[in-house]
Amino acid sequence: MNTEQNLQTADLLLAPWKKETAQPETNRLDVSIAANQLRQAVSALHNARWGYLSAITGTDLGPAAGQMEALYHFCNGAAITTLKIQLPRTDSAVLPTIEDIIPPATFFERELHEMLGFKFKAAKSNERLFIPDDWPEDVFPLRQDFSIEQAKPVEGRQAVEVPEAGRVGDSTFVVPIGPQHPALKEPGHFEFTVDGEIVTAARMRLGYAHRGIEKAAESRNWIQNLYLFERVCGICSHTHALAYSLGVEKLAQVEVSPRAQAIRELVAGLERIHSHLLWLGVAAHEAGFDTLFMYSWRDRETVMNLLEQITGNRVNYSANVLGGVKCEIGPEQAKAIKEGLNYLEPRINHYLGVVTTDTMFLNRTRGIGTISCEEAEEFGLLGPTARASGMLRDVRVEAPYGAYKQFPVSGVTETNGDLEARCVVRLKELLVTCFAIRAIIDNLPTGPLTVRVPRKIPAGETISRVEAPRGELLYYIKSNGTEHPARVHIRTPSLCNWVSVLEKAVGRQLADVPMLIAGMDPCFSCNDRLITTVDAARGRKTWSWTQLREHGIEYYKR
Amino acid sequence: MNINNDQLWVKVIKKVRAWARLNSVWAVHFNSGSCNGCDIEILATLTPRYDVERFGIKLEGSPRHADVLIVTGPVTRQARERLLRTYEQMPEPKFVISVGSCSISGGVFQGCYNVGGSVDEVIPVDVYIPGCPPRPEAIIDGIIQLLTHLKDGNPRPAHPVAEKQIAEEVLA
Repeated sequence: MNTEQNLQTADLLLAPWKKETAQPETNRLDVSIAANQLRQAVSALHNARWGYLSAITGTDLGPAAGQMEALYHFCNGAAITTLKIQLPRTDSAVLPTIEDIIPPATFFERELHEMLGFKFKAAKSNERLFIPDDWPEDVFPLRQDFSIEQAKPVEGRQAVEVPEAGRVGDSTFVVPIGPQHPALKEPGHFEFTVDGEIVTAARMRLGYAHRGIEKAAESRNWIQNLYLFERVCGICSHTHALAYSLGVEKLAQVEVSPRAQAIRELVAGLERIHSHLLWLGVAAHEAGFDTLFMYSWRDRETVMNLLEQITGNRVNYSANVLGGVKCEIGPEQAKAIKEGLNYLEPRINHYLGVVTTDTMFLNRTRGIGTISCEEAEEFGLLGPTARASGMLRDVRVEAPYGAYKQFPVSGVTETNGDLEARCVVRLKELLVTCFAIRAIIDNLPTGPLTVRVPRKIPAGETISRVEAPRGELLYYIKSNGTEHPARVHIRTPSLCNWVSVLEKAVGRQLADVPMLIAGMDPCFSCNDRLITTVDAARGRKTWSWTQLREHGIEYYKR
Repeated sequence: MNINNDQLWVKVIKKVRAWARLNSVWAVHFNSGSCNGCDIEILATLTPRYDVERFGIKLEGSPRHADVLIVTGPVTRQARERLLRTYEQMPEPKFVISVGSCSISGGVFQGCYNVGGSVDEVIPVDVYIPGCPPRPEAIIDGIIQLLTHLKDGNPRPAHPVAEKQIAEEVLA
């Protein structure tokens, strides 16, 4: 089905509840509905298997308008249907929860609650996930009239991670991990309740790396923001800048030259290679296979050299500018890239052999953390984690952007859904990426590197989706016609993929947990661009893995 | 027992201790909310291309066994308390290396509502390594500068302001 038919289907499905429809872009349909009909509308889309819930964006329209907006974005191929709900900016901004229909919505709803103060009727908990522990009640950082003076630390609300008594029952024990822990390169906090060696419950707390980037974006201009968003995550910095640039260029109605788009895809390809090799090393390290860690990181340096040669920096390369790219691929760079790929391809094939034949490694990966295709769909997984379960969810294939129409990549899937499949998917994806990079170098289109983008971006809003190494990355960008964006919402893939760890750790041995966490390639800094808080006085504000499990069971009963 | 610092055996033991310290530096890494860029570069210094272990430097999991604390990130509100706790768990003498522009000045995150600003507002810092992110060579150079400083018999640089803050924190 093409995009137009998809949108027509969605329009028909939502017909009973729609108050108003609009089509802001050719691939989008905005349907305004009433808050009390949200559940029916979501169920209609969900039961008809129309795409998946990609993100929920909350926007404060300001004290003058007195309204807040919640936008539920459903993606189906290139088509995006948005359910739009407007509520007053008061305590009566209550939305019905949809976490029992779509489990991963829990995270999105938490975000809406913590950042904008939406309340959720019948939600199992209104606990915070992102804001700091000592953050005061009823202060919402993404409200337009928020000021830092309102957020004075509240005394006595600092949380303590370590359980005061590790023993919680006759035979059960809580093992705290993080925020500083040898197995975690980034800060996060986990509590695993173990009975002997078996994990019986798991909790997690994010937000140690929450910096408040979405709010900061509103006070910086369009160009400054490019460099800010690049630093959402140092590993996939190019995809963040790319998603932002593509969105802003769409709003400004600027056509970027095919050459610039091709170079963007090339840098994204190199970034994918560096990211997946990095991941392979970390996963091997968690499995105790440090030799593979050292080898894969040694080979990763080849890509880092290439990135440095092309863009001038190893990490945070700023290849994008609004309206194009800043770096040229000349004959010298093309030769270096080809030489690099000539070295890397045999190495990737070698690693493919290692992860599928090494008995010790297979003991840690084969049949562990298996996620079926149905589960992957239910949990709303994205990227390689979903593709390892046989679900082809890849924006580059489903909704090609930039140069991916001219230089397509084929989607790689595996069917087993275990940790081994996730290794294989990522490595095979590297081979596909190498192939695409060669095609780009051989057929690099001509044209200017940059085109002019105005300082003030015309008013409007857009959704920009790109495939980051970890899965679909979604940017919602809203402009009010000034030099600053009115709202930028980022939904990173890691946020959706946490479910796979939460669900699969319970019932496994504690020793498998680091591998399960590594298996989804988590990126804390991406997740935590929002806020985080735990509250000792009111009980620990974390999201329980068992809760999600219950949702899953309930879901299958119906 | 009274120990006279002029006695030969005391001098010898001090020398041996300094020699051991300089040749087997154990570092613990703490991410206080950075974007990950510095963290992967720190990890890269351990891998074959840069191989910082040739200087006897080893990444250690527990702060209680570590000599050097390598901090990245602009210190978010949630991480501040944990950074302090990690620092306090380290045995004396301890040294702090702050890696990355945002750990030095807040960098690109300056003014964000959830960001403290810099590492040296929370704990005393001995070496600053700027860059966004600094190259692995720069990180190695920073560590070696610290070691050279200690080798020459210098005490740690004094940080009166930060030390006072720490004292207040501990007393509170």
